[in-house]
Amino acid sequence: MKKQFKIPLLVFVTVIFFVIFYYSLKANNKNNPNIMLNKPLPVIELTSLVNTNLKQELPLINRDKYYLINIWSSWCVPCRDEHPILMKLKDKIKIYGINYKDKKSNATSFLNKLGNPFYFTGSDKDGSVSIEIGAYGIPETYVVNSQGLIIFKHVGPLNKKIYLRISEIIK
Amino acid sequence: MKNIFLIILFVFFIPAQLVMASAEREINIYKNIRCLVCQGQSLNDSNSDFAVDLKRVIKKKIINKESDKEIYKYLTERYGDWILFNPPLKINTLLLWALPFLFVLMGGFLIYQKYLFLDKKHQN
Repeated sequence: MKKQFKIPLLVFVTVIFFVIFYYSLKANNKNNPNIMLNKPLPVIELTSLVNTNLKQELPLINRDKYYLINIWSSWCVPCRDEHPILMKLKDKIKIYGINYKDKKSNATSFLNKLGNPFYFTGSDKDGSVSIEIGAYGIPETYVVNSQGLIIFKHVGPLNKKIYLRISEIIK
Repeated sequence: MKNIFLIILFVFFIPAQLVMASAEREINIYKNIRCLVCQGQSLNDSNSDFAVDLKRVIKKKIINKESDKEIYKYLTERYGDWILFNPPLKINTLLLWALPFLFVLMGGFLIYQKYLFLDKKHQN
């Protein structure tokens, strides 16, 4: 290779690598919990927490304009913190609860003590239903529209800001 | 006697081999999956709730004779490509996959140039 081309080529390659590495460093965390956003909710069958003969299949198509899915457990402290917000939301939207790896007695006494915001509570004894809808842990909340699309997802406990956002979405 | 030995071999040894192969496949899948709620751990290394649940789901899928490709597709649909340690070949990962080969080609070219130069010098 001619000497006159060597230095520009070296500079060119160095600049290309610098740009690639610079943008890679600046890239956001690639773990995106919203990967399921605007995608159809996978079909799940919930078995009632109180009566194992009662089943509820989700998503519900063309039934309610919006409905909410909340994954919770009696042993989860953040779930206890967000519970008053769910109690406020229950008058605005139907809430389907997924009770994650919990004892039936603990779950029912939790609801008896703090109030039951759920239209239907399904039991997820082995965590497989939560994995099916792409959950990371508990608590987690989803808003689903009448077409069965997940239009909002929140990982972690609900707070006032999220409450207002959900209220705005379902208005 | 020989036949009895062969029957014992078939009854015990071959199923054991199949079980071992299945367990190995299961562990290889776990090793290629990132525990999304842990710090830099694979599913195989983690005992978090998320990892335990996901392992159970994957095990069920293996029992249902789903292929590795189907299992990875199921996971990436729900958690994105980030869940895989081995990123799939796509347009945005093309450079990542192509760079090692480009380096080898460039290195080969440089060695070839050097060899020609030395060869010419030797001839002169």
